[in-house]
Amino acid sequence: MPPILEAHDLTKRFALGAETVEALRGISLAVQPGEFVALMGPSGSGKSTLLQLLGGLDRPTTGSVVFEGRDISHLSDDEATRLRRERTGFVFQAFNLIPLLSVRENIALPFTIAGQDAGRGEAHDRIREVIALVELEGKERYRPDQLSQGEQQRVAVARALVTRPSVLLADEPTGNLDYTTGGELLDALWKSSETAAQTIVLVTHDARAAAYADRILVIGDGQITDEISLGRRADHSAAPLIARLAQIGL
Amino acid sequence: MGLDRLAWRTLAARPLRTILTIAGIALGVAVLSASLTMGAGLDAAIARTVRDVVGNADLRVSAFREDGLSSGTADVIAATTGVAVVAPTVERRTYLAPVLGEPLRGAVTIVGIDPLPYAQLHPVELVAGYPLARPDETSAVITESLAKSDGFTIGSQLIVQGVGSPAYLRVIGILAGPGPAAGSGGRTVLIPIATAQAVFGMRGLSRVDIGLTPGASAASVSAALGDRLTAEPYVLSSPTDIAAGLRASTADFQAMTALVAAIVLFVGSFLIINTLSMTVGERAREVGLLRAAGATQAQVVRFVLVGAAFLGSIGSLIGLVLGAALGALMAGSVRALTGFTATVEGLSPASLALAFLVGLAVTIAAAIEPAIRAARISPIEALRARLDLPAARRGRLGWLAVVFAAVAILALAVWPPSAGTVGADRALAVYGALLVATLASPYLLPPLARLAGVPISGLLRLEERLARGSLGRDRNRTALTLGALVIGLAMIVALGWTAQAARERATAWLADVVPGDELVSSIRPVAADEGVAASLAAVAGVARVSPMATFDLAIRGVRVDAAAVVGADFLRDGRLTFTAGDRSAALTALDAGGAVVLPAATAGRLGARVGDALVVALGGGATLDLRVAGIVERSIPSGGGEAILVGWPDASGPLAVSGADVFAVRFAPGAGAPARTALEAKATELALEANPLARVQGAVSDALGRVFGLFDALAIVAVLVAALGVVNTLAMGVVERVREIGVLRAIGMTRGQASRMVVVEAGVLGVAGIVLGSLAGLVVGGILLALTGGLVAGISLPWASIAIAAVIGLAGSVIAAYYPSRLASGVSIVLALKFE
Ligand SMILES: Nc1ncnc2c1ncn2[C@@H]1O[C@H](COP(=O)(O)OP(=O)(O)OP(=O)(O)O)[C@@H](O)[C@H]1O
Ligand SMILES: [Mg+2]
Repeated sequence: MPPILEAHDLTKRFALGAETVEALRGISLAVQPGEFVALMGPSGSGKSTLLQLLGGLDRPTTGSVVFEGRDISHLSDDEATRLRRERTGFVFQAFNLIPLLSVRENIALPFTIAGQDAGRGEAHDRIREVIALVELEGKERYRPDQLSQGEQQRVAVARALVTRPSVLLADEPTGNLDYTTGGELLDALWKSSETAAQTIVLVTHDARAAAYADRILVIGDGQITDEISLGRRADHSAAPLIARLAQIGL
Repeated sequence: MGLDRLAWRTLAARPLRTILTIAGIALGVAVLSASLTMGAGLDAAIARTVRDVVGNADLRVSAFREDGLSSGTADVIAATTGVAVVAPTVERRTYLAPVLGEPLRGAVTIVGIDPLPYAQLHPVELVAGYPLARPDETSAVITESLAKSDGFTIGSQLIVQGVGSPAYLRVIGILAGPGPAAGSGGRTVLIPIATAQAVFGMRGLSRVDIGLTPGASAASVSAALGDRLTAEPYVLSSPTDIAAGLRASTADFQAMTALVAAIVLFVGSFLIINTLSMTVGERAREVGLLRAAGATQAQVVRFVLVGAAFLGSIGSLIGLVLGAALGALMAGSVRALTGFTATVEGLSPASLALAFLVGLAVTIAAAIEPAIRAARISPIEALRARLDLPAARRGRLGWLAVVFAAVAILALAVWPPSAGTVGADRALAVYGALLVATLASPYLLPPLARLAGVPISGLLRLEERLARGSLGRDRNRTALTLGALVIGLAMIVALGWTAQAARERATAWLADVVPGDELVSSIRPVAADEGVAASLAAVAGVARVSPMATFDLAIRGVRVDAAAVVGADFLRDGRLTFTAGDRSAALTALDAGGAVVLPAATAGRLGARVGDALVVALGGGATLDLRVAGIVERSIPSGGGEAILVGWPDASGPLAVSGADVFAVRFAPGAGAPARTALEAKATELALEANPLARVQGAVSDALGRVFGLFDALAIVAVLVAALGVVNTLAMGVVERVREIGVLRAIGMTRGQASRMVVVEAGVLGVAGIVLGSLAGLVVGGILLALTGGLVAGISLPWASIAIAAVIGLAGSVIAAYYPSRLASGVSIVLALKFE
C-alpha cells in the first residue's frame, strides 16, 4: 500500500527580527495507512512545527508534504481549510474546546462548520459513535468548564475523529493530564486505531504515551535522528521503550 | 514615575482601542464645546440686538394701538420727574418702489426718528456718509445689509410707498450692523420722524424711548408713568425685559442642544468605562505581578487614573478643535432657525477650559471604578494559569449611575445661562430614561439576541450561535456597548417623534381654526369699505371670504394677542372646537359685538370662564367690557401664542382696528386649480399675497424640520460614538478569542466564516440596539411630548424615524464590524495555538 502521508525534505525557517530560526532542517518521512506513529524529541526540536506542516496548518519553506498522493504544501487557504475540515483531525495540548458550546455542540462543530445538520442522519450517528468511543455518554449537554481536563481532552479527540479523518494529528494531548486521565485518553486513541484502523501521528514527551505507537520517530534540532519500531502490541508497557530511549540519550 | 510610564505603555500596546476611546471623548467634547460656542454666539447676538434696538434707553413706552401714541402722551412722559431724554419714534413696514425695470424687493422697515434725542440714546455708527440732522429733511440712513442686498449707495434715491403719494428720499448715510428694528432682517431705513409721519399719514408715535436723569431709578419712573399715563393704553418695557424676551425665544433651542451634547458625552463615557475595564481585565496578571513586587494599592489606582487622564486630555484637546469647526457649522443653521446671526467669535478661554475640564472630569469619573477594581486584584492573580474573566475582574454597571450623576452635575455647570431652567426638567427626565434603558439592557439582551438571531440563524447557523455566545461572554461590556447604541438610536427616534408631533400639531391646528383653503394677506390694514373682500369673493369658485386682523389688547395690564373675525363665517365653515359655551350662540354673539371667544390657554391664564366680563383698556381712560361667550380648544395662532377672538363691530369700533390684514378664502367644493389660479391673479392685482393653507403649513413644518435637523445631526454623533464602542467591543472579542478562532480554523472553519461570525455579532448587537433604542426612543419622546403638552390620544407613531434609526443602527454596527472581522479572518492558526 502507498503511504497515506509523506514528507520530502521539509525545511521551515522563521524570521525573528533580523535572525532566522531554522525549526526544521530537511525532514523526510512516510506514514502507512492505519499506522500509529509517535514523534518524540526535546523541547524546541521542531515537533509541533512538523505536525503543523503535516496537517496543512502552515506551509513549509522548502520541500513538500504529500497527503493521500496529493502535494498539499502549496494549497490556497481555502483548499487547506477544506482539507482540514474533511481529511484531517487535530487535538492540541489544551484549550481545544469552544467554552460556550456544549460537549455535543463541540463535537458536532466540523459538521456545523460545513453547513450540515448535525442533528440527523449519518452525522447524528457518528456523533453518538465517537461519544461512545471516548466514554462520555450522559455528558453531552455539559459545558467544557463543567468537565475535568481529561474529559475535555476526550471531547477534543471525539471531535477530531467524528469526520473519520484519514489522519489524526495530536500535539501532546496528554501534556496537561495526570497519569490516570492521560491513560484514558491514550486508550481512546488506541481503540480508534485498533477498531477503525485510524492513522494517528502523536507528538509527545512522554514515553508512556509513545509506547502506544507502532513506530517512534525521534527528532532533534529539526532533523530525524532516530527511528524506533515497536510494532503493533496489545501491551503498552513503556519499559522496553524507556530502555531504548536511554540508549539514545533521551 | 516608572509606573506612569507603564500606564502609557499599556495604552500604546493597544493602539486601536486607545484611538477609539480618544475619538469617543473627542466627539463628546466637540459637541459640548460646539454647543457652548453656539450659545455664546447667540448670547452675543442677542446682546447686540438689544443694543441695536434699544440703545442706551432706560425705558420704552410703546403704542398699543395702530394709530400710535398721541403727542400728549409724549409730553406727559417728558414732564415726568426723572426723565431726561425723550426720543419719539414711528415704525412701519412697507416696500420701496422699484426703480424702473427692476423687480420689487423684499419689505423694509421704516424707522422715523427725531435725530437729536435719538442720537443721545442710540449710538449711531456709520460706515459711510452722515447721520440725519433735522426732523423734517428728506434724507435717509440705511443699514449696511440693505445697501448691499439692494445695491444702494450714498446718493441713491429711495422711493418710499405710503398712503398718499410716495416720498423721494436721498441716502446720506450707511449704518453699521443690522439696525434698530428687531425682526427686520437688517432691512431698515432711518428717516426723519416728520417725514415718516407725512408718508404714512399718521400723527401718533410708535414708541417713545426714555433716558433717565442720573440717579433716577427705572422703577420709580415706571411707577410715576403708571400714575400719569391714563389717556391711552401703552406697554412699558425696559432693555432687560426685551433681552429676556429675546432669550426666551432661543432658550428652548439652547436647552435642547445642551441636552443632546450632554447625552453624547454620556455615551462617550461608556466607551471610556469599557476601555479601561478591558485593560484592567487584560492586565490583571501584570497588575498581580506589580502587587507581588510590592506596588501599593494607591500606586495601582494611580496607574489606571494616569492612563485615563492621558486619554481624557488628548481626547478633550482634539474635541476642542473639532468643536470649533462643528460650532461654526451649527452657527450657520442657527441663523436660519432663530433669526439671530450668531457669529462664531470662538470661545472665551474660560469656556475652553470648562469644556476641556468637563471632558477630563467625565473620563476620570468613568475611570474610578476600574481603578478601584484594579487595586483589588490580589498578587495571586499573577499565578493564575488561565485567562478567564472571573466576575471580580469585570466592570460593574452600577458605576454607570455615578458617572451619570457626574455628567448631570457637569451639564448643570455648562447649562446655557440664557436657557435658565427651561427644559432642565425635561433634560433630567430624558436622561434618566436613557440611564434606565442602559441598565436594563443586560437583562434584555439574551432574549433580544435570540430574537435578533432568528432570521440570521436560518442562513448562518454556526456564526449566529458563536456570535450570540460571544456577546454573552462579558455581559457588562456588551451592555455598555449596546447601551450606547440604544441611547443614540433612542435620541433619533425621540427627536423624530417630537418633530413629527409638532408638525402634525401645527398642521392640525391651522386646519382646525382657519375657515379657508387659502390665506390672502396684506401688508397694510384693508378697511371694510375698500371692497377687497367683495372682489375676492367675486372670483369664480370662491365660496366665502372671511376678513381677519390680528392686534393686541391690554387686559388687566397684560398684553394679549387678539384677532378680529366674522363669527358667522366660522359657524358656517365649522371651524373651532368649543370646550365651553354654546358654539352657535358664541359665534353669533361675536358678530353682534360685546363678546369674546377665548382660547383655552388664555382662559386658563386669565382665570376667565364663560359669562365673565373682560375689561379692555381704551384711550382716554375709557374701558370696554367684553363678555366671554365661549372657550375654544385652540384659536388662531399669533405672535406669542393664540389670539382671543373678537367680532368686527368691537374691533373696528372701540378697539380702532383699521382693517383686515388677512382674508381666509374658502373655495366652493370641487372648484379645483382654476379657482386657485384666478384667486392668486386677483390677489396680485390687489397688491395682496395669496398662500394656500398647505403652504403655510408647509412653512411651519419646514421651520420645525430645520430645528430638528440640527438635533438629529447631534444625535447621529451619539450613534457615531456608539459605533466606535462597537468596533472596540468586537475587536476586543476577537482578541480574547484568538485561541478559539485558531481552533475553529484548525478544524476547518474558513476565513469567510470567521469574519462573518464577527459581522453577525455586530448585526445581532445592531438589531437588539434598534429594538431597545426604538422602545427607549418612544419613552423619551413620550416624556418630551408629555412635558410640552403634546402627548395626545391618537398621536401617530414615528415610523419614519424608527425606520431611519433602524437603517443607521444596522449600517453603523455592520460597518463597525469591518475592522474586527478582518482581524478575525486574519487570525493565524499557528500563532493562535501558541497563545497560552
Ligand atoms: N512562529 C514562530 N516564529 C519563530 N520561531 C518559531 C515559531 N514557531 C516555532 N519557532 C521556533 O522553532 C523551533 C521549533 O519549535 P516547535 O514549537 O516546533 O518545537 P517543539 O519541538 O514543539 O517544542 P515543545 O516540545 O517545547 O513543544 C523552536 O526553536 C521555536 O522557537
Ligand atoms: Mg510543541
